Amino acid sequence: MPTALIADDEPLLRAQLKARLANLWPGLRIVHEAENGRQVVEFFDLEDEKPDVCFLDIHMPGLTGLEAARRISKRSRVVFVTAFDQYAVDAFEQGAIDYVLKPFDETRLKETVTRLQERLAAPVTVESDSRGDPLDAILARLAAQMAPVGRQYLQWIKASVGSTVRMIAIDDICYFQSDEKYTRVVMEDGEVLIRKPIKELLDELDPDKFWQIHRSTLVNTREIAGVVRGLRDQADLKLKSRPEVLTVSRAYTHLFKQM
Amino acid sequence: MPNRYLYLLSGLSWQRAAWTVVVALVATASVVWFFQNTFWDLLLSALCMSFTIMLAITIAGNLRQTFMPREGAQLLAVVFGSFLGILLVGIVKGRDLAQMFTERLWGVTVTTGLGIGFGCVITAAMILREQRARMQSDLVRAEAEKHRLEKQIMEARLQVMQAQVEPHFLFNTLANVQHLVEADAKAAGKMLDNLIRYLRIALPQMRESSSTLGREMDMAAAYLEIFKIRMGSRLDYSMNVPSDLRTQEFPPMMLITLVENAIKHGLDPCCDAGVVTLSAEQREGKLIVRVADTGEGFQPKPGGGVGLANIRERLSTLYGKSAGLTLEENQPRGIVATIELTQRSLASAGMLSPAVT
Repeated sequence: MPTALIADDEPLLRAQLKARLANLWPGLRIVHEAENGRQVVEFFDLEDEKPDVCFLDIHMPGLTGLEAARRISKRSRVVFVTAFDQYAVDAFEQGAIDYVLKPFDETRLKETVTRLQERLAAPVTVESDSRGDPLDAILARLAAQMAPVGRQYLQWIKASVGSTVRMIAIDDICYFQSDEKYTRVVMEDGEVLIRKPIKELLDELDPDKFWQIHRSTLVNTREIAGVVRGLRDQADLKLKSRPEVLTVSRAYTHLFKQM
Repeated sequence: MPNRYLYLLSGLSWQRAAWTVVVALVATASVVWFFQNTFWDLLLSALCMSFTIMLAITIAGNLRQTFMPREGAQLLAVVFGSFLGILLVGIVKGRDLAQMFTERLWGVTVTTGLGIGFGCVITAAMILREQRARMQSDLVRAEAEKHRLEKQIMEARLQVMQAQVEPHFLFNTLANVQHLVEADAKAAGKMLDNLIRYLRIALPQMRESSSTLGREMDMAAAYLEIFKIRMGSRLDYSMNVPSDLRTQEFPPMMLITLVENAIKHGLDPCCDAGVVTLSAEQREGKLIVRVADTGEGFQPKPGGGVGLANIRERLSTLYGKSAGLTLEENQPRGIVATIELTQRSLASAGMLSPAVT
């Protein structure tokens, strides 16, 4: 008797697929229901009897259906279930990957079931040679597409303010300055201390928004009011919303040439 | 000359040199009747003086100093340049400098005076022209700023439009209804009611840019009701909004974004049941709206919180500094998101709405 796994984070949608499959494919036994991708992979790692077919919802918290499929694709036949992912559906069409759309279309689901039954009846060894890498490549590409595009930068800083923890939007920050163990986060109307060092911040902040002007200082470029030549080869940087003057060390004065 | 002082000469151009020659010619021609010297002799003096004055003005204009206004420095430079100019004249004409300042002092004084006079007129003209150029560029900059603001408003509007009805939300909800129709017709009816309620408020907002707190709360309630069914026992919610605040103006789609975040990033990733609490209050002329969840809490990571950053941007476009979004950790877990804005009556809130005809 063929076996199947159903993964969807919504209980009603699991129940629905289960009911439809019971109708269209009475011989199929649902051996496991998972709420997210992690549970799918765990099930495959722990159980000896791998389900023949896995119905995976694409959007699940934690591990998505695509990522879960990449980890189990050699061990089972995957059918993706999705509500709306045009580019994924296009890729599935091209790569001959099974998928169904939610809400379910009875005839479409039936087609999928028939195709699965045919493939399961065919010898598995031949099939598993012909699939494999191309599928992996498509899934890898899709998983990358689903991840946020481009380089992503820090938008919020988590900091304790008195007894509460607050998220500070980085646009509100005038400058960061390291202060022995801590980093001072200075805003127009006050400052807080965080533990994240300047070096780490430098990696995570948008380099167009924050400039390093000193070994221990990162300044918000929107806050720069002007720069004047200071002592030796340093420069003094005036801020728009703070009275203090920041020092631009020699290594960084080139940032302000011709300004 | 080391490169680092080259900036003092910035602005020197063939054009400026040509003007200097023209000024020297005009000056010579206009005073030649007064002197016994020949035209060419006078022109040589005028050229020497006008070039030193021009150089002095240029340097004074570029000097980074804070003792006096730039115009003052340039006028001083005219005097200084005239004096240097007369020295140059002496050197070029091979005169004895000591004799120049004793026996020929009268001539020297007149020449210097003329230099200062012409220099001042030219400098004044230059300063005026520069000021006009600066005003022009200020105007251009103001125009650019206006365009930037307009663009920001358009973008904010576009964001509102795009945020409307997420296809995932719609199709997944319909899939739920599809199942419930067979499994639990009563629940299916309830879910459809809520979906309709949600769409009724969400869809017209594509054309509107202001809303009321009441409408936004109704939409959030319909959304939460839908998710209460979709997530099973994992979600509960409560709402505490005084009915007199329901008519307050409130920007569209912000509350729903916060509720969506609370579910997607707060409750969904952590697996036990959670509660979303919506509340509103009025304090010191400010409207304070809170969305609290008992979920996972904020995991600051690069790229996170883009929806929230959009809310912040839209708030600052619409209200300037008088509005804001703050995020705090909820006790014992989760997040409290608070939108605070100055109360405005709907009548004055037309900034983003299309013109009323």
